[in-house]
Amino acid sequence: MKRKLIPVLNFVVLAIILSSSVFLFWQVRDNKAMQTMVGILLSVLYVTWGMIHHAMQGDLYPKVVVEYLLVGCIAITLIVTIVWS
Amino acid sequence: MYRFLRHFFFPHHTNNHRAKALHPDIMLAYIFLLALFNFSFRYIHQQYPSILGYATDIRLGELLNLTNQKRTELGLSQLKLNEKLSLAAAKKAQDMFANNYWSHSSPQGKTPWEFVVSSGYEYTMAGENLAKNFSNSSGVVDAWMASPTHKDNIIKPGYRDIGFAIVNGVLNGEETTLVVQMFGASDREDVIASKPEPLSLGTTTQSPIDQLPIQLFEASSPESSKSFMHSLSSVIQTPRINIPTATRDIVFVFLGFLIAVLIIDGFVVSKHKIIRVAGHNLAHIMFFAAVCLALMLVKRGVLL
Repeated sequence: MKRKLIPVLNFVVLAIILSSSVFLFWQVRDNKAMQTMVGILLSVLYVTWGMIHHAMQGDLYPKVVVEYLLVGCIAITLIVTIVWS
Repeated sequence: MYRFLRHFFFPHHTNNHRAKALHPDIMLAYIFLLALFNFSFRYIHQQYPSILGYATDIRLGELLNLTNQKRTELGLSQLKLNEKLSLAAAKKAQDMFANNYWSHSSPQGKTPWEFVVSSGYEYTMAGENLAKNFSNSSGVVDAWMASPTHKDNIIKPGYRDIGFAIVNGVLNGEETTLVVQMFGASDREDVIASKPEPLSLGTTTQSPIDQLPIQLFEASSPESSKSFMHSLSSVIQTPRINIPTATRDIVFVFLGFLIAVLIIDGFVVSKHKIIRVAGHNLAHIMFFAAVCLALMLVKRGVLL
């Protein structure tokens, strides 16, 4: 039961991280530099969440770390592209 | 072709049971292509602003009409276009570009009222609204009306006169279309607005020179003052490709593509109960959906 609950809790935490970051992004909508910072923060938090989640699942391999880092980098590039266009 | 599509979009033994579109080398290629897209857009915009630029159509006459329309709807008197207030707005815009600030007061502590007084308008009450990077006149006025503090200025019953300046320049390293709106009321007869003169609709501003900050202006004669203000009565740019629209289209299509590939990949792996070493697709989908939502909230136009 506990083993099944942990991944669910992890995803609840992820949902909270993502929704709070989007709310923060909206709060600083008049400041491009702050929006970029929030975008970077969102990506860093996501990569950190991924590391912790996979470490808890027991499948944290270098390949997984690289994947999360690349996903984070893609998101930052997209955010910079739109915010500074 | 079928093999390529299967290899690229579906988990299969040829791609180690992970869609090739989600492999690290391909993801690195996405980042490289996005960076290349950014640099090439900036380069083309600098070299050929008439092809790739910021579509803008903001006119003084439209701003005046829309502002007065909002006041009329609330049963308030219409504001009259005042040259002295327009000159004050122009001087304020000029000062913002010259000193590189986005604020009601300059870094040297100069307030909007100093521009009003130095333009010869002796006010009993005055106000200022600022906007930058909107693409059209109605967008500016709608945004002001949606902001309680800016709306207060527009619908303040005590104001009788209004002035505008619409200027293109570079502010904090960013190409900016600035709109300054000055309100005022005065007891003096000579500053009370006469019937507004028809103002030029402006010219298409597409050359790089138009993007530079406006030059310092010293009113040597009423004619030069008038011609200076006429030059700041509109900003109209019609590039073939509008940068914000094109950028958004490309980014959202790419995000849609990524989310679709993740859904397909996750579905096939779950259906065939494939065990593999990879990131969590559901987490990636949630993350990209959050990024998509955040990017939908990005607006180019800003008020102050």
